[in-house]
Amino acid sequence: MKKILVVEDDMPIRNLYKEELIDEGYDVITATDGVNGYELFKSSRPDLITIDIKMPNMNGLELLDKIRKEDRDIPIIIYSAYGEFTQNFSTWAADEYLVKSSDLTEFKNKVKELLLR
Amino acid sequence: MSAEDIIKEYQDILRQYNILNQISKTVSSTLDLNKILKIILTGVTFGDGFGFNRAFLFLIDRHSKNLRGRMAIGPSSAEDAWKVWNEIKDKNYSLEEYLGSEKFENEQQFSVLDEKIKQISMPIDKNRVVWKCLQDGIPRNVDLVSAAAGGENEPVEDSGPAALFKERQAFSQDGLVQVITVNDSALIDAELAEYIDHPKFCIIPLISRTKKVGILIVDNKYNQRDITSDDIKFLLLLGQFAASSIRNTIIYNDLKDSISALSKLNMKLNYLKDYNEKIIESIPVSIIVVDHNFTVTQCNENCGKLMGFSKEIVMGKQINTHEIYIDGINLIDEVFKVIKENKAQGFYKVNMTINGEKSDEIFDIMLVPFKFSEENPEGAVIIVENVTNTVRLETELSNTKKLSQLGKLAATVAHEIRNPLIAIGGYAARVKRKFLEGAQTDIGNLEIIIEEVKRLERIVNEILDFASGREVKFSEVNISLLLLECINLAKAAAEQNNLEIIFDCGRDLVENANLHVFGSRDHLKQAFLNILNNAIDASGKKDKIKICIAKGAKDSFYDFSDSARKMQDSISGIFSKDRAEGEPEYIIIYINNSAPLANREDIKNIFLPFYTTKTKGTGLGLTITKKIIEQHAGKIEVNSSIENGTTFAIKLPLMDI
Repeated sequence: MKKILVVEDDMPIRNLYKEELIDEGYDVITATDGVNGYELFKSSRPDLITIDIKMPNMNGLELLDKIRKEDRDIPIIIYSAYGEFTQNFSTWAADEYLVKSSDLTEFKNKVKELLLR
Repeated sequence: MSAEDIIKEYQDILRQYNILNQISKTVSSTLDLNKILKIILTGVTFGDGFGFNRAFLFLIDRHSKNLRGRMAIGPSSAEDAWKVWNEIKDKNYSLEEYLGSEKFENEQQFSVLDEKIKQISMPIDKNRVVWKCLQDGIPRNVDLVSAAAGGENEPVEDSGPAALFKERQAFSQDGLVQVITVNDSALIDAELAEYIDHPKFCIIPLISRTKKVGILIVDNKYNQRDITSDDIKFLLLLGQFAASSIRNTIIYNDLKDSISALSKLNMKLNYLKDYNEKIIESIPVSIIVVDHNFTVTQCNENCGKLMGFSKEIVMGKQINTHEIYIDGINLIDEVFKVIKENKAQGFYKVNMTINGEKSDEIFDIMLVPFKFSEENPEGAVIIVENVTNTVRLETELSNTKKLSQLGKLAATVAHEIRNPLIAIGGYAARVKRKFLEGAQTDIGNLEIIIEEVKRLERIVNEILDFASGREVKFSEVNISLLLLECINLAKAAAEQNNLEIIFDCGRDLVENANLHVFGSRDHLKQAFLNILNNAIDASGKKDKIKICIAKGAKDSFYDFSDSARKMQDSISGIFSKDRAEGEPEYIIIYINNSAPLANREDIKNIFLPFYTTKTKGTGLGLTITKKIIEQHAGKIEVNSSIENGTTFAIKLPLMDI
């Protein structure tokens, strides 16, 4: 079973993503901020990571940068409520950039796609 | 004496009177001091007149009081002398003719003799013969030849230790002229003796009434003629005349100078007056000056325009012939107050109604007491500035600012609302899908939807608060009870986050005291909870939030550092300065958490709307808190340091019960 790490500070959204991904048949672990996310990346070796950008302690872009320095291949989806983050070249290090939506279809499709690669 | 001798003597006397007459006639034709001096000296040396070889004139300097060389006439050598005399003889001039001649006018003023005399300045010295002569008014006939020859003259009197003096007093043969013969070179200023360079000369005092003017010295260096007592008699007459002429001329010239100085001063005053008037006219404000009777003493054209009259019509009349109202207040009453209380008064951004006509423009009006002296004001200056354009620009600027805030608000609101919306939408879709799949409905999912809707409501409320939607009603509020309630609420929230809220001091003021403020209970509660929640949000796990309640002056600040706390405990919580008289007592609520603000920018911006260091929230909480506290005539401050964390202080004026 593929293991997915969800890094998201907003509790309801974090739970929503977790439950939806479990329903898709994945093993899901969650982190509440960048620091926590990095710890879990090191200890649990997930197959894919989804990261929110705006988070306390360590934001999503910092976390992305930190992970990419150690692992160039792990699929990472970065998402945010801010569409304008696409202009920021540091998001290019992610495999996918998504704008948050209540419709998780695209999100789930991208996860599947990246895990098949 | 033969008849011929007698005739000759009388001829001489006549000639000399004639000369005197001619001199006086010429002198009275001019008021030029130099010309007068030249006439006198020329008269004395003119061959047909007294015929002295040389004449020297010294005047008393009005500043140094020294006798200063002023003018000298005479040839500087014997050859020169013969040349000059022969020339005059050839032309056969009379003195009067000569004085009126071109030669007299053009004659070189700066002969060697004349040039040198100007360098001589003799300070007051009562032992010197020149000063003695001025003192007693008796002419001195200096004869150092007979002194050198061993002198048959004996000293008339010894004056103290200076017994060297050799002076002899005598009267002329007719007993009319008193003269003192001096034959001691020690009595002559060395400078003078060197300059004259001739052992025989006569010093004539120039005294006008009692005023010492100077001295005239004559000699016969080139023809060696003795100076007779008759000569001296005439010289004395001339001296008296010369002294008064010189003095009158000096006085006249002084007067002329004073008049010219006065007229210059007058011109300057006029210039200053014009200058000031120009300034008053050029500045783009209306200025009216009124005296204590409200009469307009000064007014510029701008002011005339404002009043709808020409400046001349407004000036000189009482200001209360016009009806001037500032936003409904009578201007005259205010001017009266300003003069009476001697205190300036300003009205800003007001409308004016002048003689029943209301202006569309907006004005700043300053009333300033106008003083000529330190005592009571003499009147008042009214300055009216049209600020319509400034106000318009300010409004535009504030509109722009509002628009930019609105943009920021829209962005913040959109972002804040997005997360709950995504959660609500996501869970709703999930519940629907599960329902269609026939699975059991997950209550947890529905609860999240309900919670997220509440969150949306909170955000909307915050924005409405910021936009001042809620009405503020003030009443007496028991602040002790309210604080206790808020702290207990916060304690529950803190426990969930593994935090502790403790009292550092002032617990009794909350639990036992009955302190009251005048305000809105709901708003104050919101303000306290905002600060407490802020402290909880900012704290790390297992941190402590410290609270201190105190009564004191508005400008006190509590120090949460360990050392300061100990010291304050020992003097039973004295941490506020004494209040100034008339100032209300404040209740001060200090709330401290151990996390310092990241940088100084945060402290500066913390109360700005939409400024937040948190990842969640509108950034309006502290802005609203500050607004609430200020509505209550209170003050909110923040202080942050690495050692002591962040402290908020809320200060509210207590009701005096």
